Amino acid sequence: MNNVILRTITAVVVPIIALFSIQLFFAGHYYPGGGFIGGLMAAGAIVLLLIVFDIRTVRKMIPINYQWLIGTGLLFAVGTSAGSLLFNVPFLTHAYRYVHLPLLGKTSLHTAVLFDTGVYLVVVGITLVIIETIGESD
Amino acid sequence: MAFQILLNVFLAFVWMFLTVSFNGASFLIGYLIGLLIIFILRRFFHSRFYLIPLFVIVKLVFIFLKELLLSNIAVVKVVLNRSLDIRPGIFALPTELEKDWEVTVLSLLITLTPGTLVLDVSEDGRTLYIHALDVPDVKETIKSIKESFEKTIMEVSQ
Repeated sequence: MNNVILRTITAVVVPIIALFSIQLFFAGHYYPGGGFIGGLMAAGAIVLLLIVFDIRTVRKMIPINYQWLIGTGLLFAVGTSAGSLLFNVPFLTHAYRYVHLPLLGKTSLHTAVLFDTGVYLVVVGITLVIIETIGESD
Repeated sequence: MAFQILLNVFLAFVWMFLTVSFNGASFLIGYLIGLLIIFILRRFFHSRFYLIPLFVIVKLVFIFLKELLLSNIAVVKVVLNRSLDIRPGIFALPTELEKDWEVTVLSLLITLTPGTLVLDVSEDGRTLYIHALDVPDVKETIKSIKESFEKTIMEVSQ
């Protein structure tokens, strides 16, 4: 079976899905989107790669142990939440500030973005751990 | 082709930095000036001046739209016909295209024109297996259509 069409279309489509995932992640504060759906999109792009290639090839492409990804995401979330305790405010209190960055101009930096990064990493990790575990069990 | 486009964008950025005006209008002016420079220096590049393949791609789009319209009308005629005198069949189409993306584009164009459908690509990528709605009389015309698609795709990448 020669899946030349599937391979070529995947090479074109995966970057678009990845960009859309990142856009959804950053749009989460003002528009529909956020860490959860962005993470699912990123996992979906990797699942498309898994459909076209086999597990070993995708592991070579993306050499990440997804279990560590889950831990990193949880650390991000807990660290952002516990960071508020250092400033004598309740747990999970977020801080934000408008910063004038070069090139970007007036940008609002919010610690909720870090919390959402944790959500994103956990969602990607858990989805791919589930799928790869099912895929490998013969 | 891609290298020439990148060089053109780079020249547009150089123009923006030289004029110290960072907006879309100055980018456009720099892009047009870069286009002129690349046209003058076109002998130094390995591929052709990149507007030619771009025009061929536009031509391919228009050929595709024309074929889509004509073949849809043909399928409507078959559907609304009272007597079902079609003879479906599968035939092999040898292709001279080599690169993956060329074979993919050809297959998608064949599939999107109604009445024909690509079922499989052979292992070496040199034969397309096509299911046709009406084999006997359309076979030759279909071959000619494929020649037109294939020829245009070859013009893009030569």
